[in-house]
Amino acid sequence: MFKIFGSSSAVNKKKQKDKEYAFLASVISILVGLLIAILLLFLLEFAKAESDYSKPLIGMRNYFTYSFTSATTFSKIFYNAAPLMLTGLAVGFAFKAGLFNIGATGQYTFGAFFALIAAILWQFPWWAALLVSIVAGAFWGVIPGIFKAFFNINEVITSIMLNWAGLYLVNLLFYNLPKIHTVLPNRTDNLAFTNPKAILPDFGLNQIFNTSFINIGIIIAIIVAVIIYIVLEKTVFGFEIKSCGLNKNASIYAGIKAKRTIILTMLISGGLAGLGGGIVYLAGTVQYTIESSLLSMGFSGIPVALLAYSHPLAIIATSVFIGFLESSGSGLQGLYSYEMTGVILSVIIYFSAFALIVSHFIKKVLKRKGQSDGDQGDGPVIEAVKPETDKPKEQLETKGVVG
Amino acid sequence: MDIFSILVSKTIVYAIPLLLGALAGMYSERSGIINIALEGIMIFGSLFSALFLTRGIMTSTLGQTHPQFVIFLAIIVAGVSGGLFSLLLGFAAIKLKANQVISGTALNIFAPSFAILLAYAMISQGISSIRLPRGIVMNAAFFGIDASTLPSWLNIMVFSNLYLTTPISILILIISFFVLYKTKFGLRLRSCGEHPQAADSVGINVVRMRYIGVLISGILAGIGGFAFAMANGSNHEPDVLGYGFLALAVMIFGNWKPFKILVGALFFSLFKTIAVFAATLQFLPTFGLTKVDNLYKTLPYIITLIVLAFTSKKSRAPKAEGIPYDPGQR
Repeated sequence: MFKIFGSSSAVNKKKQKDKEYAFLASVISILVGLLIAILLLFLLEFAKAESDYSKPLIGMRNYFTYSFTSATTFSKIFYNAAPLMLTGLAVGFAFKAGLFNIGATGQYTFGAFFALIAAILWQFPWWAALLVSIVAGAFWGVIPGIFKAFFNINEVITSIMLNWAGLYLVNLLFYNLPKIHTVLPNRTDNLAFTNPKAILPDFGLNQIFNTSFINIGIIIAIIVAVIIYIVLEKTVFGFEIKSCGLNKNASIYAGIKAKRTIILTMLISGGLAGLGGGIVYLAGTVQYTIESSLLSMGFSGIPVALLAYSHPLAIIATSVFIGFLESSGSGLQGLYSYEMTGVILSVIIYFSAFALIVSHFIKKVLKRKGQSDGDQGDGPVIEAVKPETDKPKEQLETKGVVG
Repeated sequence: MDIFSILVSKTIVYAIPLLLGALAGMYSERSGIINIALEGIMIFGSLFSALFLTRGIMTSTLGQTHPQFVIFLAIIVAGVSGGLFSLLLGFAAIKLKANQVISGTALNIFAPSFAILLAYAMISQGISSIRLPRGIVMNAAFFGIDASTLPSWLNIMVFSNLYLTTPISILILIISFFVLYKTKFGLRLRSCGEHPQAADSVGINVVRMRYIGVLISGILAGIGGFAFAMANGSNHEPDVLGYGFLALAVMIFGNWKPFKILVGALFFSLFKTIAVFAATLQFLPTFGLTKVDNLYKTLPYIITLIVLAFTSKKSRAPKAEGIPYDPGQR
């Protein structure tokens, strides 16, 4: 799953080495996250009135096998991964410009709702409705960009404000567009009855596998990820974005229009999150219901981006992984609860915040150890690391890619 | 007239968690650590204090004779749990020099999930709402005042929603002002947020000051979470509905200064209360829309944005916030 991480064509060798560290760091974070999740289950069992210590192990087994029990649960991995990938790209793309788009959930909600307006009220086909969702998300995303560029207000604060404002605005629109909810008072009409053309195509696969969670959303998301990768790595605009993210003042000095870059970045970031919303609600499996708290999908994009160190192609892998975790969460229902996924995710993010530093540290320690008492690796991690650290630097830099 | 009294009293009771949260953020950011985890810490505080109150302590003799003392204990529980939780942020951000926003986000994702898991384990599988005891308002009788002698609007305005958290947080506000501006400790704390290397050069232990900043932040946010639980009624879901994030906005609104934060919290809370009561306030225009309360709910956020846009020139964040302390840097 993570092969894509290393096989991306590297620009220079220094970057390649950083990627190795990043890969190692992500793996360490994931392992620690899972370990702590099991420990926590034991602790929770301890807190219960009647403890049964076999339950955590059964729970974890169910957790990991659940996604492979049926075509529905398996296809749900990718069904979840598509919007995660897009919100992850939204967050990661903004990260590249040094912006923290915590407002992805608001943009996602906007995109979702306007896609439904396009589908139900305007009778658009699916691709046109997706375009509408991009525009709506971009509109809600560009506002923090404008505030950042012209008033220098932290985008975190504006996008938090806009998340809630957006949610209530969507609710207001919902109530004032009675044609969008003719059947139930707080749920949009089912697309299958109002406009089947607006449902994302599945090429008949759903019927073959007797499920309803297969659609081209994941393919669209992967294509978008590749486009974002090309924009970031191969275009002048991408260079400007990364340059602004690394040092805004130096970029301005070098002649880059930082304000324009910030606004455009947030515009694109919002569009990505909006598209994510469109893909979920045009799948025909869920309807938009009146919400009183923010939708979690936008926030889930943050771990997707963090775990991938904002690399667009790595986001493909991490979103599938997190899509798997989210799909697996249902396997814990009954014994524990779906929320276990959140705990695992949070621990993974917590450790990924400094895992890069720790993995550098491990390598340093190993190097020192290797110099003092010869080559005696005693673990898989050490073996993987050792050959490189023992080599002189020039040799190291000519070395290839992690498999 | 009574509706205005209710508005005022609700405004105050919902301003308290915002005030505490924003003060919490202020302590942390003044020491140089961005505390985006306020939301998570508030959830933690509300969770443990609510669990503490359900564990039969209210029905014990102590709870029957001195209910306010038990509430005081719950405040301590909230503060301690919030403080301990915030140390996770401190450890990552100070000791390991991790990205503060990322580790804060991790805590924000952890807290609500963990709260539900723990509530399931402690109460019953599938039930996460915690029943808080009723009748813990500090009413007129508590102060030895005969409620019937007061005009009804005054009684409603002052005593209908007066919890122990209200006077305590006002006390915290005043103490915060003195600590921050009139003590040696406050000066040192602020210097760590502005220029830690300079602070270090005159012998201030930056790491220690930052840990203290984060710890105070956690304690206050934990209490803020409890204040939210008290304000929100007797069936408490372990969640603070975005108040932690709003507190961050209030802190920026208040320009990292205690009394301006109070103004910001009251302002924000007022609009929020108006939105809640929009259906009953006849004089508010409906613009021909159905469910117009949703429009009023957006008002506090949009007005805050506009105010921020106009005041951004004067806005001054602590200079070194968000940057891990590196003694070798100049």
